[in-house]
Amino acid sequence: MTPETVELARLQFALTAGIHFLFVALTLGLATTVACLQLRATVTRSPLHTHMVRFWGQLYVINYAMGIVTGLVMELQFGLSWSGLTHFAGNLFGAALAMETLVAFFIESTFLGLWIFGWGRMNRWLHLGVIWVVTLTAYASAYWILVANGFMQNPTGAALDGDTLVLTDLSALLTNPSTLTAFGHIAGGALLTSGFFVAGVSAYHLRRRTEQREFFGRSLRIGVYTSVPALFLAVATGGLQFGHLEGTQPMKLAVFAMDGDEIDALQAAMIEQFGAGDYTPPGLARAAGLVMLVVFAAMFWILLVGALLAISRKVIVRFRLWHVVLMAAMPLPYVAMISGWVFREVGRQPWVVYEMLTVDDAVSDISDTAMRASLITFTTLFGVLVAVTIWLMARHARRGPDAVTLGAGELGGDTSSRPARDPSEAILTFVGR
Amino acid sequence: MEILAIAILGFYAIGYFVLGGADIGAGMLLPILARTRGERQRVVATIVPYFLTNEVWLVAAAGVLIGLFPVVEGDLLTGLFPLVCALLVGWVSRDAGVWFRGRVDGDGRGARVWRATCDATICAGSWIVAGAWAWILAGLLAGETDHVVTDPTVVVAIGAVLSVFALHGLAFVGLRSSGDLRRRSMRWFGSSGERRMFVVTGAIVAGLVIAAGSNIPLTAAAADRATLDWLVPAILMVTPVLLAAQMWAWRLFRHRIPSHRIPSGHHSGQGSSAVRVKPRSDVGP
Repeated sequence: MTPETVELARLQFALTAGIHFLFVALTLGLATTVACLQLRATVTRSPLHTHMVRFWGQLYVINYAMGIVTGLVMELQFGLSWSGLTHFAGNLFGAALAMETLVAFFIESTFLGLWIFGWGRMNRWLHLGVIWVVTLTAYASAYWILVANGFMQNPTGAALDGDTLVLTDLSALLTNPSTLTAFGHIAGGALLTSGFFVAGVSAYHLRRRTEQREFFGRSLRIGVYTSVPALFLAVATGGLQFGHLEGTQPMKLAVFAMDGDEIDALQAAMIEQFGAGDYTPPGLARAAGLVMLVVFAAMFWILLVGALLAISRKVIVRFRLWHVVLMAAMPLPYVAMISGWVFREVGRQPWVVYEMLTVDDAVSDISDTAMRASLITFTTLFGVLVAVTIWLMARHARRGPDAVTLGAGELGGDTSSRPARDPSEAILTFVGR
Repeated sequence: MEILAIAILGFYAIGYFVLGGADIGAGMLLPILARTRGERQRVVATIVPYFLTNEVWLVAAAGVLIGLFPVVEGDLLTGLFPLVCALLVGWVSRDAGVWFRGRVDGDGRGARVWRATCDATICAGSWIVAGAWAWILAGLLAGETDHVVTDPTVVVAIGAVLSVFALHGLAFVGLRSSGDLRRRSMRWFGSSGERRMFVVTGAIVAGLVIAAGSNIPLTAAAADRATLDWLVPAILMVTPVLLAAQMWAWRLFRHRIPSHRIPSGHHSGQGSSAVRVKPRSDVGP
């Protein structure tokens, strides 16, 4: 193990977690949109809304896979590359991950299977309930992951016992402000991501003078009017997070403000407390924080104008310049999400558990060669899969609602009134010919 | 509390190997069992409604391991680093193959190549996953938990574990398919019906996991008392809910995959295994 091992392990984790974070953001937001659409479709029996559930649901399903596979790798990477962390903080951090897998992910994935393959095979209210379970457990998953992450940012409810941390206060662990405000921030960011996604895809079709004006006109409006409150939620919780940085991580704040005197003072204080070392996070944290704020401003103006334009149905269908803006804006929430994440995570370096365990002390005893080989392998694998996923998403988004196979044969009626279909139909459709 | 923690870990690990082992085995045998494009579709279809609900058991087992035995998790995974990486590569490829296979539809050449590529990925991924598990289990059976066993005799153990996976997958396809596919998979088992075979191969898999797992030093390595005191009851409370959801999925998708596609809307009868199942007498060798 050398200093290079640490850098390789760190790069590998950043890539896995970063990709995971971006795909999961759309998963979380789009699940919410689909669940709300299906609520409307179920209550009103509107064929249009049923069709919207199928189209946006199909894109949601394609996107889901990337979140799972990167999540799997990430879960095991804690043990593979960061066994120092599981040794030191496993009593708290591991427990949160255990709850995430059981209470959230296990149910989410089981119910997603029921939703996709049980389409048309259960009472429509039950099917609605299934997608809501998927959505709510997705939020539960985000919460538990942020219990783990919040603890690393701001270790509360724990005390040192020998060379490991033990739990002293469960409720302090579960209501850590670093967890709760980040949860609101990420929920807002996820809804913003899906809002811009839905609006952008709809704008693409409207700009091409689609026949499905009603379908995409309504979708565009849903996208814009989801994004507006989502942006405010993200801003409010973002402000709250800045607010308590002063108490939890003043160094992050000082680096962001580029306050040299404050950085020097904090650095000197930390050397006195923790021994010699560099306790100043790299400038990348500040850059990322600035990018996040600039992108926020861009999204704010796009939504301010958009919220007014979206009042008129004529404008929604005909204003082609606006369509171009919405299409071009689709990546903005992703940029904001990833730069916000870099600000949060790089800004706490060199600590993995703040002021308790450094990243250097957390890395596993693995050879350079092994770490490099695994980095190259997973980077290549994820690179290919990201490209394939984006290509498939673009393909399905472009082809529009008529080509959707998810829930094919489902006409929005009550399943009990139609003749029994082949029970394997949804499965064979999913598998392809 | 420690005993309960071990029982919980064992429950989720056995659940994964018995359920997930079946779809891994089916993936391994894909090119052997399926002779036509239509049959390849059907073998993948036997896996599809279950692979997601099966693999969550491993995610859960890994979660339980890191939550209840954090130190063991770190030591085990670090010690077996190359094997766990191989396992993940196989797993990710396999999932991607299953998930993306039907996302390019149509009957053109490109679409056919796409699906054949996905089938190849599913099969190769299944072999990598099974091979990595076989190596890990073989090492654990030999009592080595902190490094990869490279003794030449390990090859025999790996071969044996791989065969168990394959047989279990064979019984699974027999249980889930109909027509030629079902006959072909059952030929290996003589006259002892697929249900009984699946129970037998499942029991062998479970026995293997218990034997291998008993060599992991768990008793003295559980998480701190304060963590166990809330985490163990929480897991025990949620487990029946998880099981109920799984049982619902097993029940809902219990139908055999038909050997011929029924046109949409065709009345296929109310029975569960409605479609063209050959009479029992045809099953034997």
